[in-house]
Amino acid sequence: MRLYLEVARRAFRRATVYRSAYVAGILTNAFFGALRSFVFIALYHATSEVAGFSLPDVLSYTWATQALISVGAGWIFGADLMVSIRTGDVVTDLMRPWNFYSYWLSRSLGERGFNLLVRGSLTYLIGMLYFGAHVPSPPQLLAFAATIVLALLVSFAFSFMVSLTAFWLIDSSGVLIIANIMLSFFSGFLLPIDFFPPWLSAVARALPFQAITQLPAEALLGRLNGMALMEALLIQAFWALALTALALLLLRVAVSKVVVQGG
Amino acid sequence: MLSLYFRLIGAKIRSQMQYRVSFWLDLVGFGLTTALEFAVVVILLARFKTVGGWSVTEVALLYGLASSAFGLAEMIGRGFDSPFERMMQEGTFDTLLIRPHGSFFQVLASEFQLRRLGRVAQGMAALLYALVNLPIHWTAGKLLLLPLSIVSGMAIYMGLIVIGAAICFWTIKTPEVINVFTFGGLEMMSYPLGIYSDWLRGVVLFVVPIAFVNYPAALFLLGRSDPHGLSPLLAWAAPLVAGLFFALAYAFWRVGVRKYTSTGS
Repeated sequence: MRLYLEVARRAFRRATVYRSAYVAGILTNAFFGALRSFVFIALYHATSEVAGFSLPDVLSYTWATQALISVGAGWIFGADLMVSIRTGDVVTDLMRPWNFYSYWLSRSLGERGFNLLVRGSLTYLIGMLYFGAHVPSPPQLLAFAATIVLALLVSFAFSFMVSLTAFWLIDSSGVLIIANIMLSFFSGFLLPIDFFPPWLSAVARALPFQAITQLPAEALLGRLNGMALMEALLIQAFWALALTALALLLLRVAVSKVVVQGG
Repeated sequence: MLSLYFRLIGAKIRSQMQYRVSFWLDLVGFGLTTALEFAVVVILLARFKTVGGWSVTEVALLYGLASSAFGLAEMIGRGFDSPFERMMQEGTFDTLLIRPHGSFFQVLASEFQLRRLGRVAQGMAALLYALVNLPIHWTAGKLLLLPLSIVSGMAIYMGLIVIGAAICFWTIKTPEVINVFTFGGLEMMSYPLGIYSDWLRGVVLFVVPIAFVNYPAALFLLGRSDPHGLSPLLAWAAPLVAGLFFALAYAFWRVGVRKYTSTGS
């Protein structure tokens, strides 16, 4: 356990180094946040509520999802594992006396912990200052903390599986593109799932992606209370377990069957 | 020079077709990504009916013009993206400077991404849908304006890509911020310009002129007026603006080449 904590701590510290990268990242997220806010302000011109979202709700939601980009809300963030499979470096990691999955998970958690605390919170702060994004109360922050931890586990298991395809396909950029499409659309990143036509929202509710983006965003806005929050946490826990199990299974198949790229 | 360009590009396309599965996956993937962009617009407008007074077909015209132009620029200009960035980082840009052709031409001819056809096709489809369903009163001028604005839009996006690349001469890496103007600009221009705040409209009209990719042309074609008093006749200024912006980008590139010091190694 101490080993994995150390791995996470180092990944956290490594992320602090690229200052200009995360400043640029925050500005980019804020730009898109502002853009989508103007679109919603224009759309809500004649209506006060659509699909259970008022204008202030949807503005807060927009900024929450922008803030969560750097923890993987919109697309798969960081492809270190995929690169290490492609180059063959993965062999060394597989031989090391640690659990391969836990190693990459702790690396990801460390890096995303930093992204959440710095990139995410600063992006959301801009939304609060300029577009009146919802200021979460302490219980809402607590609910958000619980949902985001589970979201990170689901998100990691999903990106881990996508990365593993590199064992079979030399060029998995096509798989990555399609995985990103599924994630950005069905997670509620581009639009709250509630805005979808009924059949499409039913599809989205049956998929794991809402656990990554929409549920933590709604928890932050205080839209999940009591039973709704419990239900959200249960959905997330289910997907976290299911996808992690699947990812571990896929890893076992990959390791036993596949010839690694030399180099 | 043109025949040399087509030979180099032809070789590039043939080499891409060698990895047939990758090629088709990428093509489908890019096509789906852009289809999704437009799906978001359609879902929103199905709920809200209009945005800034524009209907879904009118917005499809905006989207179709911008997306086609952007897709063409990406297909032709991706040599200035990661291939060029790699040249800078590995110091292989040096070899371009000793060949008997300009470096701009060689970087341009170093890549041609046929798989971006997915976006172009999708943009054209949205455009076609809009043109068929909108009650446009066609004149010779409007017919001429259509291809003219797609080419101008392409030139504006190419200018942006070249500027992003030229920054590499100083920083070795194309800054992420350029995405704000390319992808962000595309998303922004998928909705009528009138809905944005003054400073945002100012930036895309006077600083990075991506507003000229589609907005004035759409005003002119639809016979609409802008809520802030922008003249639809500006549609005819788009080629001029695009030419000027591209020339500036090219000049900036030349300054960069002159300043270039190899990374060596």
